[in-house]
Amino acid sequence: MSRKELISEIGLRLDGRRAHELRRIRCKLGVFTQPDGSAYLEQGLTKVLAAVYGPHQVRGNRTKAQHDSAIVNCQFSMAVFSTTDRKKRPRGDRKSTEMSIHLRQALLAAIKVELYPWSQIDVYVEVLHADGGVYPACVNAATLALIDAGIPLKEYVCACTASLANNDVPMVDISHQEEIIGGPTLTVAALPMSGKVVLMEMSQRFHLDHLPKVLDKALQGCKDIKTILDEAVRRHVEDVGSSSGWGNTSEKART
Amino acid sequence: MLTTKSFIKKNKIGNVLKNIREHYLRNDIFCGFDICERCSPANSYLSSTHVNNCSLFLYNHYIILDTNVILDQMDILDENVIGNVIILHTVLQEVKNRSLPMYKRLRSVIENPSRHFYVFANDHHKDCYLPQEETELINDYNDRCIRKACLWYMEHIREARFVFITDDNANRQRALSENIISVSVKDYVTHLDKAQFLEDKLAKHDFHVKVDAEGLFPPHCSTFQIHNGIKESRLYQATYHASRDNYLEGFAMVDGFEDSILLQGRSGQNRAVDGDIVAIELLNQNEWVAPSEMILEDESIADTSLEDALKKEDELKTVTHKKKGDVKPTGRVVGIIRRKWRQYCGILQQDGSDTSVYQLFVPADKKIPKIRIETRQAAALRSQKIIVAIDSWPCHSRYPNGHFVRALGKIGDQSTENEVVLLEHDVPHNQFSEEVLSCLPKLPWIITDEDVEARVDLRHIDICSVDPPGCTDIDDALHCRPIDDGNLEVGVHIADVSHFIRPGTAIDLEAAKRATTVYLVNKRIDMVPELLSSNLCSLRGGEERFAFSCIWIMDKKANILHTRFHKSIIKSKKAMTYEEAQITIDDKNRNDSIALSLRNLNMLAKILKRRRLENGALVLASPEVKIQMDSETMDPIDVEVKKLFETNSMVEEFMLLANISVAEKILASFPDCAMLRRHPEPPSTNFEPLIKAGKHLGFDIRIDTGKNLAVSLDAAVRDDNPYFNTMLRILATRCMLQAIYFPSGMYQKNEFFHYGLAVPLYTHFTSPIRRYADIIVHRLLAVSIGADATYPDLLDKRKSNHLCQNLNYRNRMAQYAGRASIAFNTHLFFRGKIQDEEGYVLYIRKNAIQILIPKYGLECTLYLAQKGEKSAFFEYNEEDQNQSCGNIVLHAFDPVTVRLSLDSNNIQHEKFTLQLVSPYIEGFSVPPLNKPSRKQKLEDTGSKSPPEAKRKKKSRKH
Amino acid sequence: MLQKVHIRLAENRVNTSVAVDRRIPKIFTPGEIISEQKEFMRGHGTYEQDDYLKASVAGVKEQVNKLISIRPLKSRYNGEIGDVVVGRITEVQQKRWKVDTNSRLDSVLLLSSVNLPGGELRRRSAEDEHMMRQYLQEGDLISAEVQNVFADGSLSLHTRSLKYGKLSQGVLLKVFPSLIKRSKTHFHNLPVGASIILGNNGFIWICPIISNEEDNVGGFVQNLEEVVPRPDREAIGRLRNCILALAQSKMMLFDTSILYAYEESLKYTVADLLIPEAMVDVAILTQHRLNIAENS
Repeated sequence: MSRKELISEIGLRLDGRRAHELRRIRCKLGVFTQPDGSAYLEQGLTKVLAAVYGPHQVRGNRTKAQHDSAIVNCQFSMAVFSTTDRKKRPRGDRKSTEMSIHLRQALLAAIKVELYPWSQIDVYVEVLHADGGVYPACVNAATLALIDAGIPLKEYVCACTASLANNDVPMVDISHQEEIIGGPTLTVAALPMSGKVVLMEMSQRFHLDHLPKVLDKALQGCKDIKTILDEAVRRHVEDVGSSSGWGNTSEKART
Repeated sequence: MLTTKSFIKKNKIGNVLKNIREHYLRNDIFCGFDICERCSPANSYLSSTHVNNCSLFLYNHYIILDTNVILDQMDILDENVIGNVIILHTVLQEVKNRSLPMYKRLRSVIENPSRHFYVFANDHHKDCYLPQEETELINDYNDRCIRKACLWYMEHIREARFVFITDDNANRQRALSENIISVSVKDYVTHLDKAQFLEDKLAKHDFHVKVDAEGLFPPHCSTFQIHNGIKESRLYQATYHASRDNYLEGFAMVDGFEDSILLQGRSGQNRAVDGDIVAIELLNQNEWVAPSEMILEDESIADTSLEDALKKEDELKTVTHKKKGDVKPTGRVVGIIRRKWRQYCGILQQDGSDTSVYQLFVPADKKIPKIRIETRQAAALRSQKIIVAIDSWPCHSRYPNGHFVRALGKIGDQSTENEVVLLEHDVPHNQFSEEVLSCLPKLPWIITDEDVEARVDLRHIDICSVDPPGCTDIDDALHCRPIDDGNLEVGVHIADVSHFIRPGTAIDLEAAKRATTVYLVNKRIDMVPELLSSNLCSLRGGEERFAFSCIWIMDKKANILHTRFHKSIIKSKKAMTYEEAQITIDDKNRNDSIALSLRNLNMLAKILKRRRLENGALVLASPEVKIQMDSETMDPIDVEVKKLFETNSMVEEFMLLANISVAEKILASFPDCAMLRRHPEPPSTNFEPLIKAGKHLGFDIRIDTGKNLAVSLDAAVRDDNPYFNTMLRILATRCMLQAIYFPSGMYQKNEFFHYGLAVPLYTHFTSPIRRYADIIVHRLLAVSIGADATYPDLLDKRKSNHLCQNLNYRNRMAQYAGRASIAFNTHLFFRGKIQDEEGYVLYIRKNAIQILIPKYGLECTLYLAQKGEKSAFFEYNEEDQNQSCGNIVLHAFDPVTVRLSLDSNNIQHEKFTLQLVSPYIEGFSVPPLNKPSRKQKLEDTGSKSPPEAKRKKKSRKH
Repeated sequence: MLQKVHIRLAENRVNTSVAVDRRIPKIFTPGEIISEQKEFMRGHGTYEQDDYLKASVAGVKEQVNKLISIRPLKSRYNGEIGDVVVGRITEVQQKRWKVDTNSRLDSVLLLSSVNLPGGELRRRSAEDEHMMRQYLQEGDLISAEVQNVFADGSLSLHTRSLKYGKLSQGVLLKVFPSLIKRSKTHFHNLPVGASIILGNNGFIWICPIISNEEDNVGGFVQNLEEVVPRPDREAIGRLRNCILALAQSKMMLFDTSILYAYEESLKYTVADLLIPEAMVDVAILTQHRLNIAENS
């Protein structure tokens, strides 16, 4: 057996997780004051910052504005120091363009753009450290930033990766190490509450027999992530709400 | 959800890169004890009823092992004595990194519930994890982790006692000082109750012997030095190959050198064993020597007599230094990068003393040095074939140290020898497991309506099979019938094995592991259980069977007009032998459908063959023999060269055609993962001996293309020597490379070429009962015609490549095993016989002549002189490659008559002894057999050639 | 200029929360079902799907009779008629200015909605259209009141009062609109020597107290020559930092809280108020005083 086993015979992955376990997710909303919404998210060692501006008047090319919905503009970039080999990544290279498009596709499925005609929403995502599952981390961080910005969403949009260990066992949330030595990786972005898949991408081909169980795992991962994000959002809202004394609500309630 | 405690960073620095990885610590790892109430229970084989009975301890105990114990003493652990062992994950990982074979053996022990082994993931346990300190070496760190886990267990399960077994003195002392009960393996095993036999299996290691400055071998470089050396290109990494003929010589192929590098003598080889990956240092050019071309065997008896060895080495040196002609790059081994030691079959040195515990073991494989073992049952083992493993080779020891593993049976028994052949060639030959057998269809097997629905019904067609006599695994059948437009419909029907062997089942995995059926002279090691191989899949006459059919429409000139494939049901009218089929064709009075179809097939086959040869396909030859067995005693009663009929070639042609058609089809459907077979064109250097041999006799062998080679081989005919052409073809065969299976995605399209057959695409489709590759091809074909579904591994390029590697390896080994079996039975046949036989000179060597005896397909060595000495009679002419004595000159291909007898002095390697009969050379040759008195006299004069003969088995087939 | 920048590792950062233990209302997050009954009307921050009323933003529920809406704690400014805003001119168009008021579309200030120099009764001529850029040009800051909300959500502003108009010397601050407490007046002359406009849209303007009320007519005059004395500037700077401190701790901004914060901050120099610990300290002390004031 030349290839390294991704799951040991006692059911632990290389980093000590079990097949169905996500990496540790830590996140924080409202990390910046300048943008309308922002979030920081760590998924294992993958660290991502997201900032949302808008909805605001379409700047620049007015013709882009749409009468029935807001336009969503995403920009993905990776910090020079985000990978083990330091590499200058010019903005708008092929990979980041692709990532931006994918990100946009996932977010568009959740944002209620029809509420904001003639407007524009900008989402900026910066990867500070990449350790596998960059795209999911970006989607998850962007979701938090959108919620922080108070932009109406149908529901959370979450993304997760899944792969097959030892060609048999589906496992969730693939780290960089596992990405390298493992087989194909499936990336899924979904609306976990309704179970809708909004984006699916495979790094290589899966055999049809494997796909359903891997997809299942990825969707389960999305649901788990949603639970974690939801908790963070509630904590954040509670925290901010208590500080501001629930703002104008309590006042209104009183008057 | 996640029970991570915290995570730490693991830095791995190489090339200034910094990798950070997460390492989760958990609190849900089960300790493995049923009685434990604190852990969440999981599956564990630890048993409270198993008792480890060691007199060192007065209580039952659980065992925790150190890595070195597993790596070195696996043979002890394999025995069903020690149980209730806790394998720490740290240890398991270390074993895996150090030795994959050991890891696999350990895994099989762990998985056996009756052995009561348990793996404890201490490195992910929140209480057992220790961070590595900055300056700490990985070994020390692991030792610390192991001790920490021991302490944790002692604290965690107070009801049980734990014993830590390690052979590392430092670690043991540390453990003792931390109040961990700790012993060495030796102490533990020698005090085990009722397990004295284990003592023989203790591996011998000198862990702490100081390196002796006066060592017999130069010391090896450290790993660090080797790495640096290789980086600076001072040293080269290569696989060491020992020479079969000369135990003091070896060679290694290094990239960038055309020739392999010669490694000569004690210091040159420096304890490398065949197969090891070694680091080589090149000598200065003026120290380069030529290969000795001598045949030298280690005949020393006592393991202490060094002088003998030194003497031989000097002898070798003088020989090689004299020859300045064609020096080869010479080097010496300075270190071992990885040992490839395995277990070796062989016998104890016969003339050792039974009373001594130290014995020398002589491996059956001559490339392996003798091994020193320690045993108390020498007397009993002397007459047995045994298996021994090497443990170490310290530099002050002439031989490697090893230990006895197990006995196979009495020397010379056919069953023992079969076992040896199978073991030496790594042929999996144990009984099929219950799990495999449970995959078989239930008898009586009936064809259901659905089956009929899914298949084309060809039961009405007159199909027959043609095979060698006594064949029970019939995997191919043929038919041919005229159709309306004057063309012919030709069908090849192959047993539909893939119908019974479904992917991923136990039977499939087993078949994939075995890869091929292995044919020994009196034994067949089936790839699939007999019910399939000889019954349900075998296309027996008169029975309804499932087949995979390849049907062509051909015109009378054998041009294929149309090809189609489908699964079918057939009913073979008759299972014939080649001879029967030949008679049927030749018998003009027979005009039944079978005879007609055979005649048509034969006619087409001749056209196909001619066309193939015109395209440059090679006709190669290798002396194949068949051994007639006495059906009762199973003793060989005759050895003969296989007879060939026209029908052999007829069947072969259609099988080739089917394979080619299938190859085209599956490649079109699966450009990335079609399993094909390629035969690379050999490098021109391979042909040198052939060209040389041809030139001496005035024939120009052209090797630039396969076609030219075929033409020039055809032209090389000598009227005075009818066997000459065949011999040339035998030589040509040996120049060839091995044909291999490969998934199409792994090579460029132009590399798919099959050199021997001169076709651009080839695969194996026609023998699924005995070859696993064919099963894969069947599955691919079934998918491409929509008769079956794919499964993941079938389309995984890397997996297929892995599979191919196994198939190629097993095929090669099966071939070798088959030949070894024939060789053994030929020996058996000649036991006690003396015969004069016709033969031909194959090669001329410095002190010997290699002679081929076509009648038995034997290749033996006729010694002209004692090793190292100059022949008293013959003069060696290196330039012309001849040996002359007076006016008698022996060239390659010259016919000779030799006397053949079997020398049984060495019971492990019985050898043929050759004596020259004609041409007659006074004082050297022996008279023909009808004058026994002369022979007696000659032997007394001491001109008997040394007891040495060899059968070289290097011929390669496509 | 020498500036102190406070960048710290995450673990060393100061927790800016000044949360007081209060009853926490139920929080809804996007996608969460608010009600399974159909009798409610959906308001902002909600949507209907599969007969369920669901939240689309994270926030608290507000119910007016049958109208249910979820108000996020933070969002772009949603204007209401009568709100005081501070904005920045982004464009000069035909008879109108476009104003960035931190809402999702730029607001409109019609030429007809401003008091031009010369008194309220002045007639607007074609000449005025050409003169528009001289009154207000791109980048100018104004204070205004929301006059109307258009169907697409954009705002129409007016400055037809003496207190509105072009802003002159001062400091602009941006905070999240939800932190501005709605009150009767958003113009405050603080006793510390500065006046402040708390725009409902989260833009806060701090400037020296305008001594002469009469000068401020229609307010298209910028007096950039007048030098603001140093004590005033320090007061303005301190105010700014205090407001930032409160905003960072997500405290509501209104005259009392700002004044309290100002008073509590006096033990620090203006520059020291940028140190995170000091900011939190000010916020906590302010919160404390507010609590006392409320309970008394």
